Amino acid sequence: MNVSDLSAPRRGQGALIPLLLALLVFVGLPAVLAGFDRGYFYQIANLALIFILLSASMHLVTGVAGLLHLGHAAFYGVGAYTAALLSTKFGLGFTVTLPLSGLVAALIAFLVALPTMRLVSIYFAVATLAIGQMLYLVMLNWVEFTKGPNGIIVTKGLELFGFSLSGRLATYYTVATVVALCVLAIGRLSHSYYGNALRSIREDDQCADAMGVSTARLKLEAFTLSAFFAGVAGSLWAHMTGYISPGDFKFSESILILAMVVVGGLGSLPGAVIGALLLILLPEGLRAFGDFRNIMVGLVMFLSILLLPKGLLGEVSALQLARRQLGAAWRNTVKGEGIGWR
Amino acid sequence: MIDPYYLQQLAIGLSLGMTYALMAIGFTLIFGVLNVVNFAHGEVYTLGAFAGLVLISATAPPIFAVIFIALAIGAMAGFSLERIAFKPFRRFTDEASLKSRAMRESTLLSSLAVSIVVREALEIVFGSQMRSVPFEYLINTPVRIGPVILVTGDFIIFGVAAAMLIGLQYLLTRTRIGLSIRAVSNNPLGAKYVGIDTDRTIIMTFVVGSMMGAAAGILTGLYYGAIFPAMGFVPGIKAFVAMVMGGLSSIPGAVICALILGISESMATTFVSSGWSDMVAYGFLILTLIFFPNGLFGARRERV
Repeated sequence: MNVSDLSAPRRGQGALIPLLLALLVFVGLPAVLAGFDRGYFYQIANLALIFILLSASMHLVTGVAGLLHLGHAAFYGVGAYTAALLSTKFGLGFTVTLPLSGLVAALIAFLVALPTMRLVSIYFAVATLAIGQMLYLVMLNWVEFTKGPNGIIVTKGLELFGFSLSGRLATYYTVATVVALCVLAIGRLSHSYYGNALRSIREDDQCADAMGVSTARLKLEAFTLSAFFAGVAGSLWAHMTGYISPGDFKFSESILILAMVVVGGLGSLPGAVIGALLLILLPEGLRAFGDFRNIMVGLVMFLSILLLPKGLLGEVSALQLARRQLGAAWRNTVKGEGIGWR
Repeated sequence: MIDPYYLQQLAIGLSLGMTYALMAIGFTLIFGVLNVVNFAHGEVYTLGAFAGLVLISATAPPIFAVIFIALAIGAMAGFSLERIAFKPFRRFTDEASLKSRAMRESTLLSSLAVSIVVREALEIVFGSQMRSVPFEYLINTPVRIGPVILVTGDFIIFGVAAAMLIGLQYLLTRTRIGLSIRAVSNNPLGAKYVGIDTDRTIIMTFVVGSMMGAAAGILTGLYYGAIFPAMGFVPGIKAFVAMVMGGLSSIPGAVICALILGISESMATTFVSSGWSDMVAYGFLILTLIFFPNGLFGARRERV
């Protein structure tokens, strides 16, 4: 691909795919769901949306910043428990718990990440594994506070400033709106100078450090941001299902989210979304043949590492797609030299 | 005079640490010495335990046959693990790709994926419930020493761990295969240049390490009398913690740290409920990574 091709401003055809996707998520899919009108389908759609958000938030830290994160589900759990405890103990509604659970997850991530951010590669991975397991142990064992293995029943459904949104279609729309906004935010973060700085850390952190990129700070920010989005997903989950227990946030869920990002393609946001869809819908489709969900996760992950090392939609093609379709980047400056993502 | 209660807790902690040490020896051989990230070691441990259990429930063999079959299964598991999860990612042998992070992380993820598949397959075949070992095979006849009660299993596990440690030190420092293992771990490309069959050496390391993992699995299974598909996860983490604390490449260091870990856990259960005792290992791991990145007994490493 030559330079003029890259720098050519293409505003005309921009935003076609995002528009189609938005139409699909907000018009097409609800129409199909309402046509079938079965709770099970709504449940699957909401679950897939929540895991899209989880996988997108992990994409930010593992795909873009290249930090192997093995404890992501714990922050999802922190968000869910925050939402559940706030709504059962203080009677707060979804409108308040949604941002609060994101913030609490981000705060905890920030605190635990402060000492561990110095670590690299496998040491970082194992530190996140330990952090995730510690949070899981707290959820499981601090019975007075979290009700332990019995879990918490969340009576408050989804609502917006007092309007109840607990009907099936309304729930779907709420979840879809929150997820779409968060994915949009993650997309803007990862396709920007900020995202490029994170990518430079992934490629060579010592070199990035020498070039003046503040690696420790950026790592900390990426980790905290991803925990924020995971916390938001947790709050959605808590209010949507109405029941949470520590089993939803254990190590295998972290691996499931990791597998989604890996299968979709590390560093590619559309890939993370596709990976989440694949790993949620495929086991559901195969449910008739028995409970093969986890073994499918392992197999799909292994085969994709072996046969598609770049993932289903690798980073390069994802970046090209973003460049063409979002029309967001690589515009010429006045003098004519393109200087990168805006 | 120390309260006998604490002496008893100390003894329990030592035997717990011993079971971690059993696991940590094989783990450190593959992970630390060969510098290959292997997340599937816990599943080798589980496979060894299940191989023994299947043999015990099918026939009523002597205990040595049980151990032998576990060792054989461990060797096979190590061999196939290397072939399936590690060999395909060693396609490129130039220096840049050997050192690249992408390579190392792909084997990390592939071993993780293989471990999930093995664990879930075991769960489908055997069910996720605990299976109990027939009574006559349990190695927990009590033995009283002064105020402390130990069981026969403690002595067996201690003996096996000591034999493994000494055998491995002998293998690594006194034999040709040990020399080539150390050469490959030091510099794979350089080892190749001086005529070492690196492929064969890596397979040998996996086989030896996995045999030790499988032996640890069956011994721990017989010791506690419970075998289940997810049994490898927690000891795997503990072994990892012991390895990192011990300084990654030092097998004796890993053993000592496994003992420290076991004792701290059993002491911790005096003060808090046993559900929290896993917290000790994770806490140790984080503390070691932050304050002693080179481990307690390890040589200096470039970056952690």
